[in-house]
Amino acid sequence: MLQEMWFIFTDRIDFFLKLLLEHLEISLISILIAILFGGLVGILISEFQKTAKPTLGVINFLYTIPSISMLGFLIPFSGVGNATAIIALTVYALLPMVRNTHTGITNVDPAILEAAKGMGSTRTQILFKIKLPLAMPVIMSGIRNMVTMTIALAGIASFIGAGGLGVAIYRGITTNNTAMTMVGSLLIALLALIMDVLLGFIERRMNKRSVKAKKTNKVMAVAAVIVCLGIAGSVLINTQQKDTIQIATKPMTEQYVLGEMLDILIEQDTNLNVELTQGVGGGTSNIQPAMETGEFDIYPEYTGTGWNMVLKHDGLYTEDLFDELEKEYSEQFNMKWVGMYGFNNTYGLVVRREIAEKYNLKTYSDLKSAASNLTFGAEYDFFEREDGYDALCETYGLNFGKTMDLDIGLKYQAINQDKIDVMVIFTTDGQLSTSDVVVLEDDKQFYPSYICGNVIRAEVLEEYPELNTVLEKLNGLITDSNMAAMNYSVETENKEPRDVAEDFLRSHNLLQ
Amino acid sequence: METAIEFKNIKKSYGEKVVLEGFNLSIEKGEFITIIGSSGCGKTTALKMVNGLIHPTSGDIFVDGENIRNKNQTQLRRNIGYAIQGSVLFPHMTVEQNISYVPNLLNKRDKEKTKNAVSKWMKIVGLSEDLKHRYPSELSGGQQQRVGIARALAASPDILLMDEPFGAVDEITRRQLQAELKQIHEQTGITVLFVTHDISEALKLGTKVLVMNDGKIEQFAKPEDLLRSPATEFVKELVKKERRTCYLPEDQLSSCEFSGTSGKVSSFDAR
Repeated sequence: MLQEMWFIFTDRIDFFLKLLLEHLEISLISILIAILFGGLVGILISEFQKTAKPTLGVINFLYTIPSISMLGFLIPFSGVGNATAIIALTVYALLPMVRNTHTGITNVDPAILEAAKGMGSTRTQILFKIKLPLAMPVIMSGIRNMVTMTIALAGIASFIGAGGLGVAIYRGITTNNTAMTMVGSLLIALLALIMDVLLGFIERRMNKRSVKAKKTNKVMAVAAVIVCLGIAGSVLINTQQKDTIQIATKPMTEQYVLGEMLDILIEQDTNLNVELTQGVGGGTSNIQPAMETGEFDIYPEYTGTGWNMVLKHDGLYTEDLFDELEKEYSEQFNMKWVGMYGFNNTYGLVVRREIAEKYNLKTYSDLKSAASNLTFGAEYDFFEREDGYDALCETYGLNFGKTMDLDIGLKYQAINQDKIDVMVIFTTDGQLSTSDVVVLEDDKQFYPSYICGNVIRAEVLEEYPELNTVLEKLNGLITDSNMAAMNYSVETENKEPRDVAEDFLRSHNLLQ
Repeated sequence: METAIEFKNIKKSYGEKVVLEGFNLSIEKGEFITIIGSSGCGKTTALKMVNGLIHPTSGDIFVDGENIRNKNQTQLRRNIGYAIQGSVLFPHMTVEQNISYVPNLLNKRDKEKTKNAVSKWMKIVGLSEDLKHRYPSELSGGQQQRVGIARALAASPDILLMDEPFGAVDEITRRQLQAELKQIHEQTGITVLFVTHDISEALKLGTKVLVMNDGKIEQFAKPEDLLRSPATEFVKELVKKERRTCYLPEDQLSSCEFSGTSGKVSSFDAR
């Protein structure tokens, strides 16, 4: 395992370093805002004690919101990406900052404050000359806590399409690449540790009170500021680039591969730059709103999902409705379907072989009698979709004993470990061939068609018509078995999605 | 003589509880007033009214003839030295920074002047120059008190308020500090208000002693008058022991020149 991790780390060092930098950037911006804003709030509520209780109450409440739902709340307001991640991280970082500033200031010996007042200090002078310096040790320990917490928490930022080492973790989980997950986690831990050591060093330096030490401190502080400005400057210069197409993908192995294909082809055939946000958590429910606000330009979507989830039709989608689908996308969202890959990634139900034999299960209808003894597993959004769990149960009169929310990337593990008995699969799942499961027959034609194609904003297509040529090359390019094979390459053979995408394009003479 | 501080009809109450009532007092420039009384008698309250840390419920206080209600409180305080029990030095500042605290509030620019003032006052209170860069935690109790006095005096105020400043130091150090403070008073002619609960300290330091009980003035007189003719039972009880420092029987007390009952009390201070 260690060897594997070392291998993947050295092999993809650029990838990890980029994520590390992004992680540092997201965390540091949040930390900085939290220090300034939280410090200010802490000072204000200490100066105006009446406001302390309600303010701390509100901040405590915000702190108890689970991070996943916090991100969910924020997406409608600030979309997906770094901004939302920074807002969420800042909110969490506020509590330790505000509380420690408040505690530090209110715990200053009142006799000292009276002495300062009696000697003729103004309120501001007391605050800056007496209270803040004396509260500093408490504030510093708050900052240390908060920094470690924020760096760790920034790992979930990738869930909503932000960067950082969470991307490696999430991608590792989604594509069954444990080594990548482990490297990502270790790097986060390492980063948190280094920052803590650094802050400990700063804290110790601040406590040194000799004249010489203070001079050294000043020199070091100035040096640190210069280094930070230098880094910030170089980052800003680097971001001035040519026109960029924002591509999003859902957290599914095949979407990672499709995303890489789009990236490779667009950058090869046009002058455009591609910014690829892989594996946006929540899939369609988070990507579609971001498409509507223009944060993303293109993403691979499935026709049936578009029909039921985006257009919110109740009925079953068949490919006869494709013209209607295109029309409504165009009218409602000004988006187009271009470059239909050709494969149909529809849902299917599988049961463990052992269970299938025990209850003699062959079709979905057979499940009816056995369902109450079985545990049903599916990814989060299956339970929410119009064409998901409820509709399935209603059509076949199923009533499962238990249901379990699973991450797409972990569900085969769950069924192989007997944690669940029945689960939803995709017909292109790479792991399907290696799992000891039986695929049941959809005898009532419950599942609609899910042909994969690209949804693109019409404005983008008008602005860069060259995209049309690129996307049309994808028409009918990939069959179900092609896709399943590519998924297998990534998930089981641990190949990189980009390599798999390149190999496939090369074998179809699309690479120059 | 000019009046430095005047209390006129002062009343102070916290809700139902009256701390001071009908408090009238006039203090002349250059006096060293010691204020003594049981705890809770309002002596600290009276002291803190002079620099506006506590505002009277009714009545007026005049400093240098001006009603302090009409004065900028911050400016008022900067011209009044203030030293309180314990040392209450700022723990995050060096001796030098502590002493130059008020001068820095007054004039930020003139660093040279502040530096000279620090040196001057350190010398006067008997602190050696090499303690300048020490922090309060690195000083002895006596040294801390000295820094506290230097800090209160650093901006050369006309009035110095002291609230049991020597409460926390040992007997020997206290005697040294008392002697030094007395000397400073004589040299500078500053008006001092000094709260204490130690009657011998009050008698030793004060040019006049204010005895308070239950928010009222029992007696305001020179130390020798206090000893010779206590105005009330309370004062009598308070000075009883001090009258007997000669350890003579009652009927022979007058033959002891230090007892306070004899005619000559001039040497009291030299005790």
